[in-house]
Amino acid sequence: MRAGIALAGLLLGGCATSSLVLLPDDEGHQGSVAVLEVKGQPTDAVIADGNSRTALGNKSPTAKPLGNKGLKEQEAALLTGLPPPARSFTLYFELGTVTLTPQSTTVLNALRAEIAGRSGPEVEVIGHTDTVGSADDNDILSMRRAEEVLNWLASQGFDRSIMSAVGRGERELKEPSVDNFDSPINRRVEVIVR
Amino acid sequence: MLRSSIGIGLIAIMAATPAMAEIARIKQSSGAASVQRGAQQLKASPGLQLLAGDKLVTGKDGRMSLTFVDNTRFAVGPNSQVSVSDFQYDRTRQTGSFVTQVDRGSLAVVSGKVAKSNRDAMKVRTPNTLLGVRGTKFIVEVPD
Repeated sequence: MRAGIALAGLLLGGCATSSLVLLPDDEGHQGSVAVLEVKGQPTDAVIADGNSRTALGNKSPTAKPLGNKGLKEQEAALLTGLPPPARSFTLYFELGTVTLTPQSTTVLNALRAEIAGRSGPEVEVIGHTDTVGSADDNDILSMRRAEEVLNWLASQGFDRSIMSAVGRGERELKEPSVDNFDSPINRRVEVIVR
Repeated sequence: MLRSSIGIGLIAIMAATPAMAEIARIKQSSGAASVQRGAQQLKASPGLQLLAGDKLVTGKDGRMSLTFVDNTRFAVGPNSQVSVSDFQYDRTRQTGSFVTQVDRGSLAVVSGKVAKSNRDAMKVRTPNTLLGVRGTKFIVEVPD
């Protein structure tokens, strides 16, 4: 029985050709895919040609250009089905408070529209401060800023189960600064919508 | 006072549901599309939270798409079996490890922060090959 399964596995590996289609990312950058192992044996092949198709299972794979034929219909359909990329929003706060700057209140509307427009959304809210005040106080303030945004989103009808909030205090400054430096750029909440 | 009680409430909710273990969410699905979690078979409805070890299963007319917490995006084609065998991600450090196994069917991937964090931190296994993902968009197809 086990031999039969193993044989079936061998046949599968031998005749059915698994394949890789490598494409540039949405920003046009071309990454690569390394072939680390073939049938349990380590290899050092790297597939780096964009818009190529490679049959897998061979220790020295050859990437063939997609050429005029381009993608197969089912491949194109698969790409169309990818979720939209994550989108990030930044909201800024008045010194030492959980009060949004006037400009940032308009960002809230864009944020709400982005979440509402997504299927199965997930929202990560990350609060930050500048270096004014103690590090401990800023941990609390950054969390309160994040909660302020999360609570506003909840008030707009978004379920809390799709959202999470964390505070990072003054650990991740957008604009590097000395201690006790008043920085409007660092007083922020980042919201990632997936 | 009100705010701090809300904060504590949130923490309690996060502790009660294994929110820390959430690795991805289903965004869309159509046709026969389910998530196999141990002996459980869950309908792949939009918003369903995935855990490491989950297996994505589609039938002849099935499709699903999902986004991971490191921003990696998947689209699973018809007649597929795809397992997320390992997913670990440190949101603060933005590093982790990610192993996906494509037993059958087709999978489109746009890699995210795990793939960027370390060389070959993201791997994809097919029945005969182990791939190391170095930041890109690709499709893996494994015929029956």
